[in-house]
Amino acid sequence: MEMTNEQHITIKGTSDGLIINIYSGRWSSILAELDDKLSKKADFFKGGRVSLIVGNRILKTDDIKAVGDLLNNHQMTLWSVQSSVKETQTTTEEFGLEMVPSPLKAPTTPKLEPNHTTQTFKRTLRSGQHVEYAGNIVIIGDVNPGAKVMAGGNIIVWGHLRGTAHAGAIIGDSAYVCALKLIPVQLIIGNHISCSPTDNKDKRIIPEMAFVSNGQIIAESWE
Amino acid sequence: MNSTVITVTSGKGGVGKTTTTANVSVALALIGYKVVAIDSDIGLRNLDVVMGLESRIVYDLVDVVDGVCRLKQATIRDKRVKGLFLIPAAQTRDKTAITQENMISVCEELKKDFDYILIDSPAGIEQGFKNALAPANRCIIVTTPEVSSVRDADRIIGLIEAADKGPSQLVINRVRQEMVDRGEMLDVDDVLDILGIELVGVIPDDEAIIISTNKGIPATLEDDSLASRALKNVAYRVTGKQIPFLDLHQPLNLFQRFSKLWNRG
Repeated sequence: MEMTNEQHITIKGTSDGLIINIYSGRWSSILAELDDKLSKKADFFKGGRVSLIVGNRILKTDDIKAVGDLLNNHQMTLWSVQSSVKETQTTTEEFGLEMVPSPLKAPTTPKLEPNHTTQTFKRTLRSGQHVEYAGNIVIIGDVNPGAKVMAGGNIIVWGHLRGTAHAGAIIGDSAYVCALKLIPVQLIIGNHISCSPTDNKDKRIIPEMAFVSNGQIIAESWE
Repeated sequence: MNSTVITVTSGKGGVGKTTTTANVSVALALIGYKVVAIDSDIGLRNLDVVMGLESRIVYDLVDVVDGVCRLKQATIRDKRVKGLFLIPAAQTRDKTAITQENMISVCEELKKDFDYILIDSPAGIEQGFKNALAPANRCIIVTTPEVSSVRDADRIIGLIEAADKGPSQLVINRVRQEMVDRGEMLDVDDVLDILGIELVGVIPDDEAIIISTNKGIPATLEDDSLASRALKNVAYRVTGKQIPFLDLHQPLNLFQRFSKLWNRG
């Protein structure tokens, strides 16, 4: 899926310093690309302060350190990291950097048709973790109890949905939630809210789709 | 020396972190490794009591960090097992008495002398837990087959993954097989379905553990109860050995057998 000639970063100068947008791609190749770009206009960038906008990427301490070191090599300083995921926000704070949580409508994403853009998370969301995105969300993995997914559009979980899901935060009642096993603690679609029956002992995997019909959330098996 | 730092943690309190740390440490030492157990629960120290070494404490972890004594002086040798040592926590201070850097440097020094360094983490996700996690190469997560405990374990595993301190291994403690058989308790598969990490132990709920804990003699040291054998197996699996899991069905006494027959009829 990753194309080598694709551009992973954009650099924008503002009165407040440089803003570097980082899109999907491996962190190491992004750093290489960044290094390359900065080297080409070394004099221009020198002494600048940088805000990173990383979207929903999860950055570990080492990742932030690496990018900080790289910028230092170009005599630039990392000033803030903007992220929409909790983990990255936490690492950033631990690093003592300015942490700017991206609002639900991330400024990096051009004014989106909520329905049309989709973000994919390829991991299990554990208790206490939460993701939100203005468009659709696809999760390849489980959503465990205590975890929360919030989407402006639809939610698809390729795994067990055991936590809390909120679909249609922007598009409203027309949103749907699909999961291989739909047993959420709480399900919100648009303005409607429902809870799973508590005595769900059935372990069979039956993919289901939940949507709003006649002012009620109903779940139908996928057949 | 090729040394491994393992943090034993759970999120929720009272699920058996300290008991697991003590018994797995003993069992690793019995296998022949050189092991040190560190109590990082500053202010609520327990590990020394469970291991029966309370009376031998002169210096503790905080004294080492404060430079009051050398690390060796705070390291208590267990006279019953060759190669087993304990560094106790301070009872008079609190979690702010040490930092993550302190824990890392203490462990770096210990790595020269020990094969395994086990850290008994305090409950919770705050400073104390972060201190215990900082030097870890991997973690043992202790949970009981209860929904609340599994939920907290899940949270902790998420934090460990975010801190890049995995892989985590799972010990399910206090399993009551008869309740599982009746469908009244989560079984091993239910827990694994949610947590999705490698299982290294299933420990039955056993009175022998409470007795041995109160006596300050870890179960793995003396008795041959089912729980003791299960805990020894955890140690073997921690070292990378593949061992089949024990059948936790307790042998029935005459009366139980009779009532089982009666119920069937």
